[in-house]
Amino acid sequence: MNRRKLLSLLGMSPVLLTGSRAAAEGGHNGDPKARSTGSAPKFTALSPKGTPPPVMRYSMAPSLSTLEGKTIYLVDTGFFGADLLLQQVADWYQRNMPSVKTVLRKKAGTYPTDDPKLWADIKANGNATIMAIGH
Amino acid sequence: MGVPSVPIITEAYMDLARSVAAERGMPTLRIVFTPHPIWGKTPAQLHVIVDGPDPVTGKAMMKEISDALTTPLSPEDQEPGLQPVSLGPPVFGPNTSDDLQKYFMNNGMTDYLLIDIPTEEKVAAMLKGTSHHPDEEVGKTGGGANGAWHYTVKQVAVNAVMAGCDPEYFPVILAIASSGRLALEGSTTSFCNTMIVNGPIRDKLNMNYGIGALGPFAQPNATIGRAWTLMGKNLGPGAIPGQTYWGSQGNNLNYNNVVIAEDEKSSPWTPFHVQKGFKPEENVVSLFSGWDVRQGHGAKGAGALIPKFDEQIGSMFPTLARMFNCLAILDPLTAKLLVDQGYDTKEKLQDWLWKNTTVTAKEYRESFLAHVWLYPRALAGEQPYATWWKASDDTPIPCWPKADDIAFVVAGGQTNAMFQIGNFNYIGSVSIDKWM
Repeated sequence: MNRRKLLSLLGMSPVLLTGSRAAAEGGHNGDPKARSTGSAPKFTALSPKGTPPPVMRYSMAPSLSTLEGKTIYLVDTGFFGADLLLQQVADWYQRNMPSVKTVLRKKAGTYPTDDPKLWADIKANGNATIMAIGH
Repeated sequence: MGVPSVPIITEAYMDLARSVAAERGMPTLRIVFTPHPIWGKTPAQLHVIVDGPDPVTGKAMMKEISDALTTPLSPEDQEPGLQPVSLGPPVFGPNTSDDLQKYFMNNGMTDYLLIDIPTEEKVAAMLKGTSHHPDEEVGKTGGGANGAWHYTVKQVAVNAVMAGCDPEYFPVILAIASSGRLALEGSTTSFCNTMIVNGPIRDKLNMNYGIGALGPFAQPNATIGRAWTLMGKNLGPGAIPGQTYWGSQGNNLNYNNVVIAEDEKSSPWTPFHVQKGFKPEENVVSLFSGWDVRQGHGAKGAGALIPKFDEQIGSMFPTLARMFNCLAILDPLTAKLLVDQGYDTKEKLQDWLWKNTTVTAKEYRESFLAHVWLYPRALAGEQPYATWWKASDDTPIPCWPKADDIAFVVAGGQTNAMFQIGNFNYIGSVSIDKWM
C-alpha cells in the first residue's frame, strides 16, 4: 500500500510526512496569507509530537466462494439499535437467500469489550461474520 | 477468528473506521456503511435501510456485504508485516514567529491560542526543570483502538513550552504525562479532565487556591492545565475531529481543564493525597476524568442556625450521570460549616451522602447510561449491579456503588460559602517528586 495513503488513513496530516520538511520552512507554510517579511527574525521550532507505534499488517481471512449454504454469525456489539438492525439482516437472508443460516449473537460486555469465547464459537461453527453497529 | 468478516458502521464514522482499520493492521478492511444514526430507528425504518444503499458507495447494502465476504483477496489484502510510521521532521523552520504560529495552528498542534514557540533554547531551559534525561521515556498513551504512542521527557518539554509554563512547573507536567492519561478523550459525549495538586509544591509554584481558585488568575494553574490539553493533541493519536475526536459538541473545559490546588491549610479535613496514602509533605497530582462541573448554591434549611450543606450537596447527586463518580469542590467556608453540622472528617460526609442520596430502582434501570454501561456488568454477575438490576421498582439505589466514589477537595477564597460538583471518576494519583 502506498505509504502516503497508509499514513493518511492513520489520521496523520500529509504535511507531516517524512520528506515534507519544505512545507514547514520558508515563508508560506501552505498559507498564501502567511508571507514572511525579509527582515523578521527566523526561528527553528521543535516538533511536539509523540512517537506512534509501528503498524503490524495482517492478512485478511480468505474470502468465501459463495454465501449459499453457509452459516453467518450476526454479532451485536451492544450499541443501541444493533440488535434490531441485525434482525433485519437476518430477515433479509431468510427472504432472499434462504440457504444461508444466520446465527444472532450478542457480544459479551460493553461494546469495546473483547469476547474470545464468541470468536472461538464463530471459528468453530461459522463461515463468516457480520458485526454491527459501530455507533 | 479466521473467517471473513465485515463490520457495519454508520456513515458518520467513515473516516474513523478506516483509520482504525489501518492502525489495527488491515487498511483494506471491507466496511459497509449505513445512514446515521441507527439508534432510535423502528424495525420498519431499519427494513428500508437494509434493503437500501450503502450511503457512502451508493451500492445496495446487502450486495456489498455479500461482495465483502466473497470477493477474492487482492495482494494488498494479504500484505503482512511490520511497517514503521514516521511523523516527519523533528524540527520546523527556520521561519518567522508569525509563520510558525500559523504552521502549528494549521496542523492541529495547538488549542488555537497563541503558543510560546518551542525553540531549542526554550526547550533546553524547560529541561532544566527536571533531573530526568531528555530521552527517557515518560509514558504511553492510546493502546486502545488507536495503538499506544510513547513519548520522552523532551517531547513533553516541547508541549510545556508551548503552553507557556515555567521550568519550575515541569515536574508537575511530567507527572501528568507519566499517567498516560492525556486530555481530550475522543468520546462522542465530550469528556473533560480535572487535576488536584497537593503538597508544598503548590506554594513553591505560587499556585492559586484562594479567590478565583478555578479561574484564570495564576500562571501555573492556567498553563499546567493548558499543557495537559496540548499533550492530548500532540503526544498521542491526537484529537483530530472526525478521526480521533468525536465529541459531538465538545467541552469548553478542554481549554485548560479544571486545575485545583487544594487549600490544605484552610481545610478542616485531611488533604486529598493523604487520603490516597501519600505523606503530607509529598507532592502529588491526582487526575480525574468525566463530563462537567456545576455550581452549587446555598444550603437547605434557610433560616436554620446551621445551614444544611449536606442536603444541598446531596440534592445535586441524582442529576449527575452515574457513569462517573462525584468530586465535590468546597470553599473552605463551606467545609467549615459542614464540620459545624457534625462532619469532622470527609469520610463521615461521604457516608451520609452515600446513604441518603438515592434514586428508585425503576429510575436507575431507565437511565440510558445504566443500561449501556452497567447492565452488561449486572448480567455478568458483578455486584452491586447484579442485585440492583433485579430490585423492585421502589427500592432505593445509591447514586454510586460505594461511599468513596464521592470525593472532596477544598479550595476557594472564603468570600462566600460556595461549592461546585464535578461529575468525574478518580483515575489515580502520581508522585510529582519522582519527576523533580
